[in-house]
Amino acid sequence: MITLENNRLIFRFPEVHEAACCEIRFQRTLRIPDDGGEYPLPPGLGPFPLRHLDDYARRIPENWLARGGVIMPMHQAEALWLGFGGGGWDAYPCAARIATGKICAITGASWSEGLSHAPQNYVVLPAQPWLDGYCVEKGVIRQFVAMPLGAGYSVEEQISGTAEHGGLQIAVYPMKAERYEALMRPKRGQTLGTGPIMFGMGLAVGAAGMGMAPGGRMRQEIYDDPFGPDAWDLNHSSRCFVTVASSLSWASLTGERPPTKPPTAERYTKAGLPWFDYYGGDAKALDGSEKLKQVLSVAELGEKTGATPLPENRSVDVELIIALRKTGTDRVREMTE
Amino acid sequence: MKHFGPHVRNLRETLRKQDRRYSLRQVAARIGVEPAYLSKVERGEVAPPSEATTVKLAHELDQDADVLLAMAGKVSSDLQAIIRKRPQVFAELIRQLKLAPDHAVLRVVREVREGEW
Repeated sequence: MITLENNRLIFRFPEVHEAACCEIRFQRTLRIPDDGGEYPLPPGLGPFPLRHLDDYARRIPENWLARGGVIMPMHQAEALWLGFGGGGWDAYPCAARIATGKICAITGASWSEGLSHAPQNYVVLPAQPWLDGYCVEKGVIRQFVAMPLGAGYSVEEQISGTAEHGGLQIAVYPMKAERYEALMRPKRGQTLGTGPIMFGMGLAVGAAGMGMAPGGRMRQEIYDDPFGPDAWDLNHSSRCFVTVASSLSWASLTGERPPTKPPTAERYTKAGLPWFDYYGGDAKALDGSEKLKQVLSVAELGEKTGATPLPENRSVDVELIIALRKTGTDRVREMTE
Repeated sequence: MKHFGPHVRNLRETLRKQDRRYSLRQVAARIGVEPAYLSKVERGEVAPPSEATTVKLAHELDQDADVLLAMAGKVSSDLQAIIRKRPQVFAELIRQLKLAPDHAVLRVVREVREGEW
């Protein structure tokens, strides 16, 4: 089951194990410059508001309503990252699939049910603390940037040639209960933990909705599954479509003001505020997706078509970088504006 | 409530062993209190901090804020506001559910509908 708690999606699998639970957060962040350079991890600037889509059933298109799930607002050209929770010592491992416009953010393949292992099409929670974008090379992602669906920038449009889905889709598969028990046995007596979750999210703007497009390049590793394909309970999963509304659509739909626009990367950096790097210990990183590598970033596509899709895209020199290590908490990257 | 301080100290010290930014001084700075005060809280020499500070502490230590507030003998103000708005309904609901197992309680929680996509 999936619940919405404090703007977080909580996935629980009580039928698998009482500890089988995990959470996914949608963090506001800086849009890093889309200039070909590689940047460290930007900060989290607080959560995006999430609401049940069903609460606005009379005011949204029928095809949105059919997807169910939740809805959130984003400004055009705004970035986000996903934070994965449940990172205590006894955290229940889960495999989470993440797609945008029903294109897998890890492999670039079209959405299908289940997990694939070669290539791996999921991230393992809680070992993977965050996902900031598309896995384009080993150790490099391209940031998730919201762009109007139909404008041609989204990964969905560039790979599938259609502007049909938009948003984000998430599916979570818990670890098999017996594997979790075996994993915990040596740890018990030392410390405590949580469980697995699966959900999906999608973005929508106006009647067409919004999609996710690749932005600037960022150093972030997507980790290899250390447990192997047999660890996951494929008989139990939950999924959620997250529709993304433009900030204008959000205001008229919900009557709520969307969050303010985040500062630019330049303004943030000049204020002397930190960026981050993460070291996941000896975890192995996945190779990037060739398919996703071929997709043009928002700035590259804009240059090709003579458009200026990003309102501000100046390069920045990042000097203050805080190195984060695997500590069991991922909140240290989240700041207040 | 007497377990609150040692519990916080245990959590923080576990994190500090892997990351020096979880020292007493640095955590105190991040949640906006004096190190000496946090030290007294951890030793149980003073009452648990305010709701706002406890929530910041929970966030810092990657703990559920409601759980840490409960250990501090508090209920978050948003929950209090919900109950005050419809006291009879929620008082009865909570009493009815007090002995129910977690999975039964979760059945009355609103789920996110998965839909077709």
